[in-house]
Amino acid sequence: MPGKKARRNSLCMGRRVVITGLGVVSPIGKTPGDFFSNLMAGHSGIKRLQTDFIEKLSIRIGAPVDNFNPGDYFSKMQLTSIERFSQFALVAAEQAIQDAQLALSETEQLRAGICMGSCMGGAGTIEEGYVELFRHDSSRIKPLTVLLNMNNAAASHMSIKHHLQGPNITYATACSSSAIAVGEAYRQIKHGYADTMLAGGSEAMLIYGAMKAWESLHTLAQEDTNDAGASCKPFAKNRSGLVLGEGAAVLVLEDAERAIKRGARIYAELAGYGCSSDASHITKPNATGQARAIRNALHDAGLQPQDIGYINAHGTATLAGDIEETKAIKQVFGAQAASIPVSSTKSMHGHLMGATGAVEFIAAVLALQHSAIPPTINLHEPDPECDLDYVPNQGRTGVKLNAVMSNSFAFGGSNAVLVAKRFS
Amino acid sequence: MQAIMSSLQTIQNMMIQQFDLKLEDLAPDATLESLGLDSLSVIEFMFNLEDELKIKLPEERVEIKTIMDVANLVDKIVAGQKGTAQ
Repeated sequence: MPGKKARRNSLCMGRRVVITGLGVVSPIGKTPGDFFSNLMAGHSGIKRLQTDFIEKLSIRIGAPVDNFNPGDYFSKMQLTSIERFSQFALVAAEQAIQDAQLALSETEQLRAGICMGSCMGGAGTIEEGYVELFRHDSSRIKPLTVLLNMNNAAASHMSIKHHLQGPNITYATACSSSAIAVGEAYRQIKHGYADTMLAGGSEAMLIYGAMKAWESLHTLAQEDTNDAGASCKPFAKNRSGLVLGEGAAVLVLEDAERAIKRGARIYAELAGYGCSSDASHITKPNATGQARAIRNALHDAGLQPQDIGYINAHGTATLAGDIEETKAIKQVFGAQAASIPVSSTKSMHGHLMGATGAVEFIAAVLALQHSAIPPTINLHEPDPECDLDYVPNQGRTGVKLNAVMSNSFAFGGSNAVLVAKRFS
Repeated sequence: MQAIMSSLQTIQNMMIQQFDLKLEDLAPDATLESLGLDSLSVIEFMFNLEDELKIKLPEERVEIKTIMDVANLVDKIVAGQKGTAQ
């Protein structure tokens, strides 16, 4: 029997958390396998959007989830109350659950929960309502508007569908929402509040109002005149901003002991999570704040900087963002920074906002699993201020990786960093 | 009677269209619950019904269990609107 002190220490350390299932609905693949193959092949999901409002925008590119037919997954009756962002989340969750071969007993469902991230929830529904009210001067809008739109709708539908009755929490921290959601879900298990968690994020905001708002902020990439797919150019001298995308990603996280006991296939251990706030500016990124989140994640994982073999960068391709992230990585990794592969997969799947942190963490976990590092595409003109190894244009295979990191740095200064390592 | 038949048909057609239900399941005495409509689907359906038939349903709660209950309610409102028009 361990003594009181030993028990307290072990509680303080917490339980180990592993990743046993993955689900992705993205602009470059609607399964984790397709997603990662396209990343390695350098395929871009960015294109000129074909929508009825597109002529009213100056920036007409985005990264949509093409050929997503809700009728393939839901009945018409279900679709009455399930918005596009919830549809993405439910499909990704189903994939992750199948992938993990998760079959929870009624008792286990009581200790299973959900953490999701989203920036705008059912933004399309709100927009439809506004069109009715303000343009058509209607006196009424769809009665389910509130339920379709609410940010926690996706997580709640996941909970209802899979009878998960533990924590059900939705985070809104802009671009880091789903990285925060994954990190907080990890803590739920680590500290014993739950044994199994679905964690990720979902976003469906390729709509007129949201795109116009982003356009007005002057942070969106200009369309590449030769190839719309090459418009997002992280870390390149000729980068001009981010490209909005949509989709969802969900991971199954489990208490390691439980996963081993049931013979689950384990992708990796979610070894560390660190967050921080810049507390300096509402949009301007801050290397010191970002570095603090990276250090916190390493500390939580009990790893040294030299243990990290790949960093999936936040890498939005904004002028300030890429330089600041480069500085943050240098602050933490010092002389080693130059030899660590750092890539921005946003160059291919775009910026999925409330889903992007989870999508990119999955990219990093699959990199670890396949010993393969996806590239940063469209990096032909190096920026002297961005001088790390960004894995330009060509992915790398046969790279021995023991631990990987995924950075997410948000407007508002909410930074989140996740670390995964091989489970042993 | 003719009016009742036609609103029933409209309601059935809308249910087929909106929820992918089959006509053979839509007997007048079929309960909405047995068709898989929960309270939210009913609210959504009644909203669309207002649009389709250009009627205004009462704000107060009306007990609706079967398809026929919906048809009866609609017919009452249509009759009331005609009365007002005259």
